[in-house]
Amino acid sequence: MYDKLNILTDAAKYDVACTSSGTARKGDGTGMGSCEQTGICHSFSADGRCISLLKILFTNECIYDCKYCINRRSNDVVRTSFTPDEICTLTMEFYRRNYIEGLFLSSGILKSPDYTMELIYAALYKLRKECNFQGYIHVKAIPGADLGLVQQVGFLADRMSVNLELPTADSLKLLAPHKTRKNILTPMRLVQNKAAENKNELMLYRNAPRFVPAGQSTQMIIGATPETDYQIIQVAESLYQRFELKRVFYSAFVHVNEDKALPARTDEGPPLLREHRLYQADWLLRYYHFQASELLSEENPNFNIMFDPKCNWALKHLEQFPVEINRADYKMLLRVPGLGYKSAVRIVKARRLGVLDFSDLKKMGVVLKRAMYFITCSGKMMYPTKLDEDYITRNLLSVKEKLPEEVRNMGYRQLSLFDDVRFGGNFGQKAGGVM
Amino acid sequence: MKTVYVCSDTITGIFSAVYDAWKEKRSEESCGIALKNALEQELFCEYRQTEETASKAQAVENMIKKHLGRRVYWDIYHAALSEDGEKGDAILGTMLAARRLSDSTRIMEHLSHPKVEKVFELSRSVGGEAHSYKGFLRFKELVNGVLYSEITPRNQVLTCLAPHFADRLPLENWMIYDKTHQMFVVHEAGKNWVLVWNEDFDRSFSMRVSDKELEYARLWKSFCKTIAIESRTNPACQLNHLPLRYRGDMPEMANVL
Repeated sequence: MYDKLNILTDAAKYDVACTSSGTARKGDGTGMGSCEQTGICHSFSADGRCISLLKILFTNECIYDCKYCINRRSNDVVRTSFTPDEICTLTMEFYRRNYIEGLFLSSGILKSPDYTMELIYAALYKLRKECNFQGYIHVKAIPGADLGLVQQVGFLADRMSVNLELPTADSLKLLAPHKTRKNILTPMRLVQNKAAENKNELMLYRNAPRFVPAGQSTQMIIGATPETDYQIIQVAESLYQRFELKRVFYSAFVHVNEDKALPARTDEGPPLLREHRLYQADWLLRYYHFQASELLSEENPNFNIMFDPKCNWALKHLEQFPVEINRADYKMLLRVPGLGYKSAVRIVKARRLGVLDFSDLKKMGVVLKRAMYFITCSGKMMYPTKLDEDYITRNLLSVKEKLPEEVRNMGYRQLSLFDDVRFGGNFGQKAGGVM
Repeated sequence: MKTVYVCSDTITGIFSAVYDAWKEKRSEESCGIALKNALEQELFCEYRQTEETASKAQAVENMIKKHLGRRVYWDIYHAALSEDGEKGDAILGTMLAARRLSDSTRIMEHLSHPKVEKVFELSRSVGGEAHSYKGFLRFKELVNGVLYSEITPRNQVLTCLAPHFADRLPLENWMIYDKTHQMFVVHEAGKNWVLVWNEDFDRSFSMRVSDKELEYARLWKSFCKTIAIESRTNPACQLNHLPLRYRGDMPEMANVL
């Protein structure tokens, strides 16, 4: 059991999305488990990622040969599978001890997509109905599996996800020859339609079974293929709009296989800063009313490594600043660097009851060292600053926060200041003849 | 002359002091609340011992819920659990300030008022710690099947945790011990939880864990180690999310510390 858990955890660790949010469910007193709307993190691993769910693969005996994946069939790794019983025992015993918030079950493709999906269904059924487990379950829908099966699994899980794997259909063809865009989008559409239908049912019958109440998510690998940031956030935007996804996760490409179709191995490690910028942009799309086209464009397709996307946008739109805190509308407040959506809400409410000053803002959670260039309180700026792009850029850079070592220490020797070499700009040359 | 009501560091104590101050129709400047154990005497103040009773506390709780609403009550309740010595004063100040609003239920939005801001801050930090412990708390199974946990919180978060775990583990016998404040929450399977303090417990029973316990702790430790991606190792980020003060009671951090 010890070895099995190690192997199948190791195989699952590249999956992102360990969130347990989106469902609020009280225990019914007959079993074990409940869910909180915000989700709960139970621990943090050495890489700083949250451990909330027991994240395991059902099996790593995979028939597919995706180039980027550690479990592809052409790799020589130890193969093993759980049984539904083992998964139930592990989940229940971990959950009792408050180690975890629930289960995240993914899987390699054993024999066929249908066969795998059936095994997953068996495990979840046992967990929900026999063990009476009411905690969080996140499950992967296997592309290509029978849609009826996917639907049945959806009634047992809180969140379902289908991995988009790579941002475009071409990349998918190149790196995951056994998967197709169509096979991935079909179950995604099914989950979307079924969830909408379920919402109506629930309005009529309060006790109708709930279908993926925490919605669906997806993930894609960043940096294995030559897409620009602009293409990626456009894909994300359309997934949010057309498939009503709850989240899109980005996973910086980690080199686990040698393959001529993959970018050459470098010493730089995974493109973490790029991943970080994409997540920042993702939040701007979901919570800050930004459009993908406002953040990037064809001419300027990649994120600035020095500034987060919002700061970058503000510097290019100085004509809209400074913003008067006591008067500006909510949507404009959201666009001020250093001001989050929670503090924006607090400001809007608090200014009805009294005039706000900089000291009040600080207590509400506004990051003044970034916001001070862009705001006024009762017509006054915090310090006399100039509304000038170069001036603000210079001052913001002197704070040097949150940037990785190599960017912070970047001297004049490095010529490509705004063109991170790790962003895959020279991918074409590295990948050679394959392109 | 300012009147300061002195009370013990409990919900009953603080609410009783609020009750007394409220009854005498004091204005914001002329009254305050101080805790017995954190008392710093000032000049030109009259110090008055509060008689603490459950009925006074209940009356204040009902009044807050009725006039300020349940959400505000939770903010005030959380603030009252805080480790901060000036919490009583902030709570009283907030309640007095609420009287001057046309819609008192909006009092927590009035963040430019220093007392309100204080309650807001305290509530946020107590709520934050309680939320963290919902995740970071660990049970171990004792030989008799009871799940046992020890925590070292800054604030008195036990009463925030108990309903959560009672809902989550209704059919288990479990207990949580707060080492900082020497309090227990005890839950018997299928019943309501109870808070126990001021009792001398021999805690040596907690050393005898069941056979399976070691096995699962080992599985969990190896899971936590394996799930990390080596090429992304980032201890600063880990520290940011999981501060050291929580780690002492977590098995997966035992040999990392």
